[in-house]
Amino acid sequence: MTNATVASEYSAEVNHVPIEHRFNPYSDNGGTVLGIAGEDFAVLAGDTRQVEGYSIHSRYQPKVFNVGDDIIMTANGFAADGAALIDRFKNQLKWYKFDHGGKKLSIQSAARYIQHLLYGKRFFPYYVYTIIAGLDENGKGAVYSYDPVGSYEREQCRAGGAAASLIMPFLDNQVNFKNQFEPGTDGKQKKELRYLSLDEVLELVKDAFSSATERHIYVGDGLEILIVTKDGVRTEYYPLKRD
Amino acid sequence: MPGLGFDNYQRNQFLSAKGFGQPMATSTGTTIVGCKFKDGVVIAADTRATAGSIVADKNCEKLHQLAPKIWCAGAGTAADTEMVTQLIASNLELHALAQNRQPRVITALTMLKQHLFQYQGHLGAYLIVAGVDPTGAHLLSVQAHGSTDIGKYQSLGSGSLAAMAVLETNFKEDMTKEEAMKLCANAIESGIWNDLGSGSNVDLCVMEVGKDAELYRNYLTPNVRAEKARSYKFARGTTAVLRESVKNILDIEETVINFTSTADAMEVDA
Amino acid sequence: MNGIKVDINHLKKGEVNLGTSIMAVNFKDGVILGADSRTTTGSYIANRVTDKLTQIHDTIYCCRSGSAADTQAVADMVKYHLQIYSAQLPPNEKPTTQIAANVFQEICYNNKEHLTAGIICAGYDAKNGGSVYSIPIGGSIHKQEYAIAGSGSTFIYGWCNENYKPQMEKDDCVQFIKTALSEAIKWDGSSGGVIRMVILTKSGVERLIFYPEEYQK
Repeated sequence: MTNATVASEYSAEVNHVPIEHRFNPYSDNGGTVLGIAGEDFAVLAGDTRQVEGYSIHSRYQPKVFNVGDDIIMTANGFAADGAALIDRFKNQLKWYKFDHGGKKLSIQSAARYIQHLLYGKRFFPYYVYTIIAGLDENGKGAVYSYDPVGSYEREQCRAGGAAASLIMPFLDNQVNFKNQFEPGTDGKQKKELRYLSLDEVLELVKDAFSSATERHIYVGDGLEILIVTKDGVRTEYYPLKRD
Repeated sequence: MPGLGFDNYQRNQFLSAKGFGQPMATSTGTTIVGCKFKDGVVIAADTRATAGSIVADKNCEKLHQLAPKIWCAGAGTAADTEMVTQLIASNLELHALAQNRQPRVITALTMLKQHLFQYQGHLGAYLIVAGVDPTGAHLLSVQAHGSTDIGKYQSLGSGSLAAMAVLETNFKEDMTKEEAMKLCANAIESGIWNDLGSGSNVDLCVMEVGKDAELYRNYLTPNVRAEKARSYKFARGTTAVLRESVKNILDIEETVINFTSTADAMEVDA
Repeated sequence: MNGIKVDINHLKKGEVNLGTSIMAVNFKDGVILGADSRTTTGSYIANRVTDKLTQIHDTIYCCRSGSAADTQAVADMVKYHLQIYSAQLPPNEKPTTQIAANVFQEICYNNKEHLTAGIICAGYDAKNGGSVYSIPIGGSIHKQEYAIAGSGSTFIYGWCNENYKPQMEKDDCVQFIKTALSEAIKWDGSSGGVIRMVILTKSGVERLIFYPEEYQK
């Protein structure tokens, strides 16, 4: 490229930055999700706003799904990859039933299978943070969470997506009682862990989302919570602020 | 040598290459509008300030005073709109004092555009300037690079497209003050709901010929915080006391003076 | 040196651009300037009723194309210079179009590294009648019978060359400009809005405006 006429002091900077024409296959569609396991239940909640940049694509686009066998699943981040991953898992679950005489897939088997779905695209990953929830073989609530390439862990609670960094510390404090001590023990004895009731968990979820909505622009419009108990999966919806 | 120094340019380039980028400035990813009416002009703004995707301030002020009857709404880099506005407000007052005349909107605009042009767009200030002066009511806009526009209705900021859609469909010539206020508020609301960079409340300022300017801070508040489902009060003692030290920074002395006086009454007259 | 490449490199991010169709034409009684009214930032129309015909002196105007900020600043400077200059002139004398055009040229040439400005300076003065000067991006100056510039002008070089006639009548000249600009607007995405004209003759300044529903026929 000729540089004859642009000879200003900093013109070099302009010429040394190549203009990139490559197609970028990923985008960030915002949204945030949250899963909490209780003693005999598990919840998975997500806001219903879908965005790109400063624009709202939809105020009601559910991203937490009942994928069958009392397993609920969400894949938050790049919406197209999230939908593709969930579709693939649902489809595989269907074939699993065909092949094994309608056998119910346990949550830990589902969890391991999803690891393989994610790792299968190790060098062109699904750009999503995945969480699944359900009941384990003892009827106890279970939440599994993943990174984009399939590393996973069973946890008591996990927030994912845009406002994860806002919600996770709140959950550490309110679910696992982090940084809380028994009054009168002068910080010697940690507050004792206990299972929260479903009502308490639902209140925490609602407060977490209404607070995240206040401070994160990618969160809002609506909150959809899926709840798994021994009686099956149930859905609740609460409106969130729309600004 | 007066003026800006670029001594640190090389250093910053080096730092960027090492992965230490520039600190992020608070940007008012904003909706601001202005609209003329029969005998005056209205400007309005939302009140959200963002730092990336985090809401930095839920109720910031984007309407700035340049002179008692000249106001401007600012979009872009919050610090730049604030400082450029304060500088021009000062110079405008000195100019008005020196000339012994009321400050004019065109004067404010010329000062702004010449200042911004000098900085070649590095000051990220996008302003809608409005006001009344001896020559009437005016509505103008300046962009960061120093270009200016005139129009009966204007919008700027990330929500300008949403706001302009409302202005283009509902603007009428010679509206009443109330109609213009409503139109501006609607345009801002459109930004609040549809643009993620804008949110919270509507601020509004009316400047009418022959009257004092009126600032309506939080003219609309359509985004009141939802009440929490739970109480987050912690029992006293939840947080451990790691260390305790009490310092006496003041010694208190008390002296009692008895006033049941047996002293002589003051002599009033001899 | 590649003028276009330099131009693209020079445009700063987010700068307001006058992707324009402008022209000025000499005719029997003086000169007529014409312009579209669109100002864009990227693909957004920032102003659809822009006035790109800027007064420099009583009967000297310019058409601006390129960066809105740069051309406004240059026009303001020239306007200021002519005010100082005309104050030193004997009474009843006015600056010539040539003087104004040369001030434009001087500023555009001396600051060429920082400017994206394509200007047509046209005016009427008693000595020379109507005259048209084109000052394109590098800061050169060209005296012409008529001048076209801006992104939309590329589409009408042929048409203008075929249809321009020296010493046209006023109405014919208005029609010439209107047709030329309506074609430029039709084919150039970054030109649009209304067609503005300024007619400069010995009797002073006359402004015309044509709306799309008329010039699109």
